[in-house]
Amino acid sequence: MSVKKTTTIVEQLRRAQMNELLALNKRLDGRGLKDHRELRIDVGLIKKANGSALVSLGNTQVIAGIKVEVDEPFPDMPDKGLFICNAEVLPLASPYAEPGPPDEDAIELARVVDRGIRESEMISLDKLALISGKKVYAVFADVSVLNADGNLFDATSYAVVAALLTARVPKYEVQDDRLVKSEETIPLPINTVPVSVTMAKIGNSIIVDPTAEEEACMEARITIATDEQGRVCAIQKGGSGTFSVEELSEIATLAVSIGNNVRERIKNAVAPASTNNDNDNDNDNDINK
Amino acid sequence: MIVKRYVLPGDLIVEGNPHIKPLANVIKIGDRLHSTRIGIVEVSQNGVKVIPLSGIYIPRVGDLVIGKIIDYSALAWEVDINSCFLGHLPAQDVFGKEFTPGRDDLTKRFDKGDVIACRILNFDRTRDPLLTVADKDLGKISEGELVKIGPTKVPRLIGKRGSMIQMIEHLTRCRIVVGQNGVLVVTGADKDMRDVAVKAIKMVEEGAHTMNLTERVKEMLQGVQVGR
Amino acid sequence: MSRLMSEEGIRIDGRRWNELRPVRIEVGVLKNADGSSYIEFGKNKIVVAVYGPKEVHPKHMALPDKSILRCRYHMLPFSVEERKNPAPSRREIEISKITREALEPALILEDYPRTVIDVFIEVLQSDGGSRCAGITAASVALADAGINMRDLVAACAAGKVGGRIVLDINDEEDKMGEADMPVAYLPNLKQVSLLQLDGKLTADEYRECLNLAINGCMKVYNMQREALMKKYFSTKDEEGGSVED
Repeated sequence: MSVKKTTTIVEQLRRAQMNELLALNKRLDGRGLKDHRELRIDVGLIKKANGSALVSLGNTQVIAGIKVEVDEPFPDMPDKGLFICNAEVLPLASPYAEPGPPDEDAIELARVVDRGIRESEMISLDKLALISGKKVYAVFADVSVLNADGNLFDATSYAVVAALLTARVPKYEVQDDRLVKSEETIPLPINTVPVSVTMAKIGNSIIVDPTAEEEACMEARITIATDEQGRVCAIQKGGSGTFSVEELSEIATLAVSIGNNVRERIKNAVAPASTNNDNDNDNDNDINK
Repeated sequence: MIVKRYVLPGDLIVEGNPHIKPLANVIKIGDRLHSTRIGIVEVSQNGVKVIPLSGIYIPRVGDLVIGKIIDYSALAWEVDINSCFLGHLPAQDVFGKEFTPGRDDLTKRFDKGDVIACRILNFDRTRDPLLTVADKDLGKISEGELVKIGPTKVPRLIGKRGSMIQMIEHLTRCRIVVGQNGVLVVTGADKDMRDVAVKAIKMVEEGAHTMNLTERVKEMLQGVQVGR
Repeated sequence: MSRLMSEEGIRIDGRRWNELRPVRIEVGVLKNADGSSYIEFGKNKIVVAVYGPKEVHPKHMALPDKSILRCRYHMLPFSVEERKNPAPSRREIEISKITREALEPALILEDYPRTVIDVFIEVLQSDGGSRCAGITAASVALADAGINMRDLVAACAAGKVGGRIVLDINDEEDKMGEADMPVAYLPNLKQVSLLQLDGKLTADEYRECLNLAINGCMKVYNMQREALMKKYFSTKDEEGGSVED
């Protein structure tokens, strides 16, 4: 059964300070209301994975790995590959995280990230069929949160997107209805780069990329994924508060413009890796620059 | 001025009149008063309230309630008073100041499953309601029929200055102890008349919001009398 | 034009773009529950029970300043084409969470400290939009339970099917259509308490879709009102005005 948990408890003094600053369009960490924290993306550091990415969004840190296998397609979609996204908050990620099966927050996290990627049609699943109705590529994206400091939705989404963009999968030849694995590797068929933007509502302010402390004070949260054409692909409202229609209209506009900015950062971060497959690029990808 | 009389949660009752105060089951949002319950709007000099037609019993200090002993410790009984809060009856209330845990056996007075009439002595929602049986007519109930009705229907069953309940008692020759928590005990020598009393109680419960209810209950009761 | 939308703008089940499926709501269908309701929304058949406020077990889970709201959205194994494993799926866990978050803004939980309110939503037969139907019915059951509420919560989806923005997506439209946007709305407070989207919409389509869904919520709200009024106030002398004492 679904129950709300309490985790971070923010001191009343700090909460008051936060509200005071928000009234002046400022935040505790000095950011503007619509700024993301510093974003760093390192790709390809896990050689055993088909693709991988370590993403830091301020103090939030997540690692995503892509594993590609050959599997049977769903009976109702014989010519479509599979994409499965999973997320977990590791016990080392925060003093409040516990080992065990994923709780409702982790399940929501995985499903919202999955939805953004699936609904934007980032990967052409119909190009992942190997033998119609029998064999298809199955793309598994697994994300682990290493350090939780708010906005796991965006960090996780960026990590999966970066890992997918840089993933290389074995090429198969079909010989007499059987698959033969070749030495060659190919990139995944990518259509678009979806970008997730998460905002929180505290009082009457809408802020982008909330920290854990800000999340503990927020009334409601919203995550919007947009594609390269500026279309909205997936939305999830969370938290026990509400939004007005005007707020929701403004939020969508923001999600597109902020998304465009972040998309460039992600593309820059993966560019060197996807050309030479080598990646010690510790580029500073501060998206607020 | 009053928008409507029969209201649902969220319904606007009054707008833009700062002189009308929100009382029970009414909330103020901006300059608007809204109902928080399904019920009937009642305006008085003090303000506006909604008499709810559904809901569980929330204790109020001074209420007479009928409860069931469900557990006891060395110091107190736990009493199910048909609420989301458990009643707390300290042993001292029964044994007096001389009470000594260990020497005085709580079960000698009330055991699990016993039904008691008691009063809410203290309650502020932060702690479980404190009960007392130290008054006349309070304490263990050893005979009668237990009847449960919706706690929100109790005021209707009692009626104006007890008019409804007194009429039922008079015409059925039964005694009815009404707990504000919706638990009732009907006692009377004649089993058939007890049944009639229960029937009348149920009639009030189902028709709590209707008009001329007293008349209809009276007709039913007198019909039974004539039939006998 | 796809097969989901005819040249004349008629949908696969015969509805126009702004029409709801047939809706029926009943109040007080389960005797044991403190509040209950039953809803038919298209082919959806859903029963909801509310228990509480009641004591919390174990006691240390209780909150000192307000009640805990717990929600469970659950589909019966025979509610879908292929038998569903009765254990809660990831989808059901997510829907339980967003249902709770859609209902919570309407409830005055501070009035019932140290207690818990349980909402059980059982889908007997599912069609598109079961989460919205579940939230709609749950709100009615909470009102029936007599829990203090700021407002009712009405829910309805809109989406994009065959290139058009349409109200209240059914199962086939959900599977074959371009976008599905479930929305829950507090009609008196004019606030959105649930918003999800699966599928692509331009910024303009998004706004159109949101407004249409809210429009649908208002229609659903009127049906919730009717059902509650019928249960609580329908008697032959209903319009008589004053109650005697």
